[in-house]
Amino acid sequence: MSKPSDLVQGTLDLLLLKILALEPMHGWAISLRLRSFSGDVLQVSEGSLYPALHKLEQEGWIKAEWKQTENNRRAKFYSLTRLGRRQLETEMANWQRLSAAITHVVQLSEA
Amino acid sequence: MRAEHWWFTLPLRLKSIFRRNRVEEELDEELEFHLEHRIEEGVASGLSPEDARLRALRAMRGLDQRKEEIRDARRVHWLTDFVDDLRYAVRSLGRTPGLTAFVVITIALGIGMAAGTFSMVDALIFRPYPVPHPGRVVTLSGTTRDSRFEPFSYREYLDLCDHTRSYDGVVANLDMQAVAFAAEPGTTPRVRGGVLVSGNYFRVLGIEPRIGRGFRDDEDRVPGRDAVVVLGAAFWRREFGGDPAVVGRTVNLNGRRFTVVGVAPKTFPGMGTFSHPDFYVPLAMAPVFSTDLQKSFFEDRDDRELTVRARLKTGARLDDARNELAVLARQFQVDYPDASRGRGAAVYTQFQSRTVEDDNWKFGVVFVILALAVLLVACTNVAGLLLSRARSRTREIAVRLAIGAGRSRIVRLLLAESLVLALLGGLVGVAIGYGFVEWFQSKQNIVFQTDLPMAVPMQMDTRVLVATLALAGLSAVLCGLAPALQSTRTDLVKGLKSADAEPPGRKRLWGRNVLVVAQVAGSLMLLTASFLMARSFERSMLEGTGFSKDHLLMVRFDPRLVQYDAEQTKRFYERLIAGVRDAMGVERAALTQNVPFGQDSFEGLTFVPEGFVMPRDRESFASMMGTVDEGYFATMGVPILRGRGFLVSDKADSPPVAVVNEAFARHYWPNSDAVGKRIRRGGANGEPIEIVGVARTIKYQSGSFSGSHTDFLYVPLAQHPVAGMILLARSSGDPLDLVPSVRNIVRRLDPNLPMMQTRAYEDLYMNQAVYGPRIAIDLVGMMGVVGLVLAVAGLYGLVAYNVSRRTREIGVRMALGAQRADVLRLMMGKGMVLVAIGTVIGIGMGFAVERLMNAMLFNAGGVDVLVYLVVVPLMVLVTMVAAYVPARRAARIAPTLALRYE
Repeated sequence: MSKPSDLVQGTLDLLLLKILALEPMHGWAISLRLRSFSGDVLQVSEGSLYPALHKLEQEGWIKAEWKQTENNRRAKFYSLTRLGRRQLETEMANWQRLSAAITHVVQLSEA
Repeated sequence: MRAEHWWFTLPLRLKSIFRRNRVEEELDEELEFHLEHRIEEGVASGLSPEDARLRALRAMRGLDQRKEEIRDARRVHWLTDFVDDLRYAVRSLGRTPGLTAFVVITIALGIGMAAGTFSMVDALIFRPYPVPHPGRVVTLSGTTRDSRFEPFSYREYLDLCDHTRSYDGVVANLDMQAVAFAAEPGTTPRVRGGVLVSGNYFRVLGIEPRIGRGFRDDEDRVPGRDAVVVLGAAFWRREFGGDPAVVGRTVNLNGRRFTVVGVAPKTFPGMGTFSHPDFYVPLAMAPVFSTDLQKSFFEDRDDRELTVRARLKTGARLDDARNELAVLARQFQVDYPDASRGRGAAVYTQFQSRTVEDDNWKFGVVFVILALAVLLVACTNVAGLLLSRARSRTREIAVRLAIGAGRSRIVRLLLAESLVLALLGGLVGVAIGYGFVEWFQSKQNIVFQTDLPMAVPMQMDTRVLVATLALAGLSAVLCGLAPALQSTRTDLVKGLKSADAEPPGRKRLWGRNVLVVAQVAGSLMLLTASFLMARSFERSMLEGTGFSKDHLLMVRFDPRLVQYDAEQTKRFYERLIAGVRDAMGVERAALTQNVPFGQDSFEGLTFVPEGFVMPRDRESFASMMGTVDEGYFATMGVPILRGRGFLVSDKADSPPVAVVNEAFARHYWPNSDAVGKRIRRGGANGEPIEIVGVARTIKYQSGSFSGSHTDFLYVPLAQHPVAGMILLARSSGDPLDLVPSVRNIVRRLDPNLPMMQTRAYEDLYMNQAVYGPRIAIDLVGMMGVVGLVLAVAGLYGLVAYNVSRRTREIGVRMALGAQRADVLRLMMGKGMVLVAIGTVIGIGMGFAVERLMNAMLFNAGGVDVLVYLVVVPLMVLVTMVAAYVPARRAARIAPTLALRYE
């Protein structure tokens, strides 16, 4: 079972969009990237990765293409669409608002 | 945003639907790619390949669950599931081809009948005018106390044009009339159908001529000046081979030369439901055509012959138009008290005008109701069959529920099955509908016995197809929903234990029983209706007509077509009848205004019998009337019972006389001799007419199956001249052999005068009085037989189902000593109780239908007992057989087999 509680609801989408905004890459590379970026803090189950990618694809935010990897294997490469770019901006703005608010609340309770 | 969204996602969705295997392969490849890297990673960190693979799969937390999650993300589940359901439905229906075929045919019969009758009602009521924006075209109509659909006079039409603000234009036309048409001057004219229209007719209705032009407004200003004609498209192709050079040519209409200025487009067959004019002529040319001779078409405000239509301005509201016209009608009453007393006006939409104008649509509605009754029987029947089918699948459904299928999912699956059935049934039904329409079209010449271009334009158009398919979908729900819902209510535990669990409680059986009762009742009602029609028709055939209809030639003349005045007309008929009486082979000859069972309605007469105390609430009586000459009674073989027939001495200036029929005489002078009595025409102070003879009552009209007691009054031709008359000539041999000599006589008198409706009278009679009604009887009878077949099948299904359900019980009973007769009684008893209940209800419904038909179609009162004496035993007998056959099978069950059953 995937554990949505591992991440704040919806943040996986944001992470994936952000990673794909850097360059097009395939699922395996995304999972490596997720691991290396977040260290052990963000535990993204590999089980929830692919459903999330397919969901983003069906939303029209990312698109997929079969291309050769550097090892000459066929892999499905995802890249951001224009819609996805706009979505990323919205979600980043949302995230910043949300985290700022939470930070604010957390500091209040400490004071 | 939305558009861009679809730009990216639509291809994906389509791919998910149509290239499903490809998408699945790609998903596998993608996940495999991931797993391989993960395994490599594991192996690199020192695990064995097997452990590495296990670890990789564990990280995925269930590969198949993830795949399902991804499939859900594609958002085409509802569709792919549906397609799966359909596939499954087709497969599982294919396993029971007999049942499937039966169900499809059952539904197809119902839907086919509905489609056929729909297209009839569509043609009569719903089909829009063949003009652009037909919804904006309204009909302006006069109203009186007795009639909601009255034409306007030319004067009134001009006022309507000048004093209304709601319309883009107001157009008028006369009814289609017979016109003597000759393509070349000097050739023998033939009768064709022409319509006189206002100059703005084509422009306002928005009809672009196919070639040439429509009329100009100014071509309708001066009476008799602009002899121009626009041809109908079909006529142009028929008569001129579709030659475009026809524009500019002249043709002869009623002996006058007209210039062809244009050809109407093929898409415009005319504004009328039935009439499809051969050509159009401006209203101003009315003097050349037949209008009321007694009045002046352009001057008299009460010469009301025009149908007026108008196109509503954009933005104009119907209510405003109605108010405006009401005000105008009141102004007419003030300004012209003589001509407009008691006359109102109304604005009708197309639908309203078609339902108000005539009653033909009622036949269509009766047939639609009957067809829907058949469909209902078919649906209940199919629902019953699906119910027993669902029962035999109790275990399958229980398994599906047990392994986690949702109830709604199962209902959808079962509904998909009935949808497949209904769609197949719908398709076959449309084919049946086409057959029905073709059949009806082939009877057109019987329905419309006329030289003019008239036809019911029945066809399976888009509107009818959509309505039919909607009906098919509705039947799918109707047939499938109840069985589907019930089968999901199965008790899981019991369902898994046995292939046929006992139904919980009596409720379910109750539903089945109601179905059978409804079927029996419904088909009994249909059979009653058809028998009733056939019986009253047969009765009227047996009674005979009261005159001899064989060896009679009829030819209709209308000297108005060549603009004869009254004197010329009189002379023409005198010479004609003298010539025909002298001709070879003619035994007797006569002239009459109308023939019985003819297409034209009889003239009405209002009168007051002299010395008669009038009831307080009326000022006069009404009767049908006909003008005949002195040879009529002898030629038609109608005996004069008392007094005398007409004589040559009954001249225009001698005292007015009349002959009445026996019904008339008995009606007003029940206790004394009518001969010698007088009536006053029009009212108590009208012209006195002396009754000089009483003729035997004959039948005058088709349409009513029992018109034997109609009052009728004959007046002599010399005293009541009429322009259009029918020549009747009795021969000893084939009446059509007389045609050449009659034609020679007419040609000698006037080569321009066309002979119309030239035929043996018996042909007309057979078409109007025999074949026409028989069509209606065939139709209802067909439905009744179909209904009976359906009911029988339904009952058979129910009993057979009960037998299979209770096989084990029967085995036990027989093992315990029950005889075959006992088993037979057990299995049939229930069915026969249902048949009895259905029969009682059906008889009640039959009474209701009989009353309805008496009110709408026939005028015979009372209850036809014999119909029930025939139909009910027949019904009971047939249904008993239907119950007996499967019950006998039960009685033959070997107890050992039955106990091991399942």
